[in-house]
Order: sequence, then structure tokens, then C-alpha cells
Amino acid sequence: MKCKRVSRIDLVLEGGQWSGGDSTQVEMIATPLPMQPTGYVIKSWAEKPYGTIKTLTVDAVHDGHALAVRLQWEVPPATTTDFPPAVAFALPVKATSPLVLMGMAEAPMHILRWQGGAQAGVRSVLAKGIGSSNHGPDVGQKALARQDGNRFSVVITRVLGSGAGAAPLKAGTTTKIGFAAWDGGNEERAGIKSFSVDWLDLVLAA
Amino acid sequence: MSKRQVAMVMDLNKCIGCQTCTVACKTLWTRNEGQKHMLWNTVNTQPGQGTPHNWEKMGGGFRNGEPQPGHRPGVGDFGKAWDFNYKEAFHGGEPGVRLAPLGGEPGQGPNHDEDVGGGTYPDNYFFYLPRLCNHCTHPACLEACPRKAIEKREEDGIVLINEDHCRGFRFCQEACPYKKIYFNEARGISQKCIFCFPRLDQGVANACARQCPGRLRFVGYLDDPDGPIHKLVHKYGVALPLHPEYGTEPNVYYVPPLSPSKHDADGKPTGEMQIPLDYLESLFGKKVHQVLALLIDEREKNRKGEKSELMDILIAREWIKNFGPFDKHPRSIENIKVVVK
Ligand code: SF4
Ligand code: SF4
Repeated sequence: MKCKRVSRIDLVLEGGQWSGGDSTQVEMIATPLPMQPTGYVIKSWAEKPYGTIKTLTVDAVHDGHALAVRLQWEVPPATTTDFPPAVAFALPVKATSPLVLMGMAEAPMHILRWQGGAQAGVRSVLAKGIGSSNHGPDVGQKALARQDGNRFSVVITRVLGSGAGAAPLKAGTTTKIGFAAWDGGNEERAGIKSFSVDWLDLVLAA
Repeated sequence: MSKRQVAMVMDLNKCIGCQTCTVACKTLWTRNEGQKHMLWNTVNTQPGQGTPHNWEKMGGGFRNGEPQPGHRPGVGDFGKAWDFNYKEAFHGGEPGVRLAPLGGEPGQGPNHDEDVGGGTYPDNYFFYLPRLCNHCTHPACLEACPRKAIEKREEDGIVLINEDHCRGFRFCQEACPYKKIYFNEARGISQKCIFCFPRLDQGVANACARQCPGRLRFVGYLDDPDGPIHKLVHKYGVALPLHPEYGTEPNVYYVPPLSPSKHDADGKPTGEMQIPLDYLESLFGKKVHQVLALLIDEREKNRKGEKSELMDILIAREWIKNFGPFDKHPRSIENIKVVVK
């Protein structure tokens, strides 16, 4: 996935001039049931389909100081309002961080997760394995979300650079990126979600 | 497995349904943002729908050791607390205004079927069932949480939700077969009875127990041979868990209710208890029959002026002994700092 360099991210956000046809369609699949962390979750979702968000349309730009990732998707009509819509992208803190295991102790992954609803906002999370995620470092994360019926468009931004626990980002280098999405209207939350199976390359233009 | 387990016993023969326990708990713990619908302690009329309405049909718990899917009760299931037009009705000066709930049709309140009960005259019957989180030995809530946000305290087995770790996924609400977890929509976290642990930590019994005018609540450790809990649950075996078939091994126990005799066509007592035994069995399991028989025997002893330790405990002749080691006065509590983030 290409991350184009723009002069100023705020202008992109205002003007909506995204990657000009460079969007990536990211295929998503439901997180496997046996990987769910508790017996209750496995049992209660055994007969229920989840992972309804099958594709994310992703664009990324940076301006040498900050990264902006736009995520767009569509959901079927909601069956509940108990859980918020949510989307996240993950970056490896070390090159060896495994996406499918949600990181590990020595090689965590750094997640920026947006959710809507009553507690709307974007959260920085450090994951060291399935079911063990905690507060992540402050990377100046912000989000800009728009909902139009069943269609969502969320832009998540953070500063480039590195720091304790933060996934390093530097213009002119290549790192990895992974995605997860939760259809709250289908009661999706926690490990009940869809995800992008493996890392994709994220190429930050010089 | 915790080293020790605190427990509560309630003698249903003595509950008058006054809700003092409910209010004691409400005033102490659930007056903050997002807690309006929360009643960590409830008292409902049996037979009846209870709170949340029809909770016994909402699933959860374990069958053959396997977790069972359950319903996630919402604010409507618990029954909204109604607001009334007190100001207009009592101080408004308008003759036509009557006391009424605000906001039109308010729906079923938490205790909407109070005193309805079952049976037909002259053999109609009911009794009150106070409920709180059972601080189970095999807590379905704790085992369901993917974030390990629920803990069972090592020193006394109290089950607590860690509000810093909870993300409001609400699997615990679905998994708890007693439906004793509430969701705080304002804060996005689940909350429930904390067994008044800050009081217990200072030797003071739970507010619901201490305030109960019926003096029917006992508190203590299950393994303390001198305390009331051990005597009622183990020595005499008269205190039974509610719905043991749910598989969570509750630590709140009940002394089942005796009831007056049914009547024949001439209005004479038949000797058969008004509360049907199969109904009591459906709540407390098969042991309920032997418990009721023992209660009748011991009551008879008492009547004849013979000594009955069991009756002395249940009558609460020395009320303060209801609380085992937690017999300090609430005024003795020092330095309690309530932290609400
Ligand atoms: S009663 Fe429900 S909430 Fe309380 S410990 Fe048992 S399973 Fe958990
Ligand atoms: S305070 Fe005691 S008597 Fe009153 S409802 Fe509660 S348990 Fe029953």
C-alpha cells in the first residue's frame, strides 16, 4: 500500500484530495472462532455469523510530520444499538510482531482504534497477544468520522517518528500495516470482528 | 480458587419485602452517573417475573460444565425507575393535577408484579426473594470476559469488575445466569454488587445486611465453625443456593420459606403447605424437602421450650452475631475514600 507524500495533511482532510485513485481494497475475514479467548465467546458465537465487514477501502498519506489513514466500509442494517461501530489499524513495533496473534510480549503491535457511539474517540492500544491489550503510547492520535446511513468513513491520524511502545514511522521507509473492523450493529466487539489476515506493506514516500 | 469465601444467608421466612436493603445499597453505591437503573440488591415477589423481568429464562451459566449462551438484559428489562410530577401535584396549586409518572407510559418498573404471587383464594401465596450477585465459586461472568477484567479476590472470594480494564463488551451480562450485572451506558462499563468489600475490609457487615429490619441476613466465612454461615449452610444444612442447576456455585444461600396450611372446601386446614413444594424445589433443588422438615421439627422443639441452636440463630436473638467477624459498627469505618474516575 502506498502512502503518498502531501504538502499538508490538514489540507487533505479539508479538501478531501486523497490518493487520487490509489485506494487499496483490503479483503477481510472473520477472526477464527477457536482463537476467541473464552469458552463463553466461542459457545455463544458458534451459530452466529460475524465478520460482516468483508472489505475496507483504505487510503494513506503523510506530510513528513503526520500520517493519515482513511478507512471506508459498509455494513448491513443493524440488529442492535448496544455496540458501537469500530475500526482499527495496527503497525508492528518490531519487524517480527505477528498480526494474527495480535503481537507478543517481545514484539508487541501498536493499534489505533476508533469507535463511534457514546464513548466515541480514537484510542492507542499496545497488544502483546490475544486478549492482552493495554493503553498504548500517545502518538497525537486523532480521528475524523463520518457516517452516511450504513456507510462509514473514518480518518485516523498520528505523528510520524518513534518512541517507547510506538510503532516507528519514517518517511522513505517501508513498514507493515494490518486492519480490523467491528460491525457493532451485529453485536461485534472484542475478538468478534473481521481482520486482514496478514500484514500489508505500507510504503511511506520519501 | 480463593483461600476463603465470604457468604450470605437469608432466611426467607422473615423477609417483609420492605426494600430497606435495596435502598441501603442504592444510597451507598449507585447514585453516580449512568447508575439510575441499577439496583445491585433487588427484592421481588415469588412467584413472579423478578428483575430483570423473566431473568430465569435468560440463559447463561453452565450445563455439564459447558458455558451456555445467554441474553444481555437492557435498561428496559431491568425496569426503568419512574420520575413523578411531585412538584406540580403537591406544590403546583392546580386542582386538576394528579400524581402521575412523567413522560407518558413509563413501562414496567423493576418491581411491577409486587405482591401478585400465585394460587387462588383462600390458598393464594407469595414470598419475597431478595437477590444480589452471588459471588459464585465458579463465576460465569469472570470466565466469559475476554479481557480478564473480572477478578475473584483471593482472600475472601468476592467477585469484582475492574473498571479500568472493562471495555463494556457485556459478555459477562450474557453469561451470568442470575442477571446481576448492569451496564453503565454513560461510562461504557459493566457494574455489579461489590459485596460492600470496603466495609468488610474494616470488619463492618454489608449495608443490606446491617440495615435489614427483618434481621434475616447473615454474613461470614463459610469455613468459620463459630460463625452463623457455617452453621446454617454446613452444620444444619438449612441454607440452600438459588437455582443450583445453573452451575456457578453461588455463595448467597436461602433458608426456604414455610407457609400456612391450605384449606379444604369447609375452610379447614388440610396440613398441606400453601407454597407448592414443587415450586420451591424448582428454585432450591431437591434438598428443600428435608430442610423444611427439619425447620418444622426444630420449631416444634422451640415451642416446647426445648433448646434449639438452629432456632436461636434464625430468630437472631443476638442480632449482632448475624454478622460473624463483621460485627463492627459502621461508624467505626475510617479513611474510606471513594474513588470515581
Ligand atoms: S451471580 Fe453472576 S455476576 Fe455474580 S459472580 Fe455469579 S455469575 Fe458473576
Ligand atoms: S431489608 Fe430485609 S426484610 Fe426488608 S426487603 Fe430487604 S431482606 Fe427483606
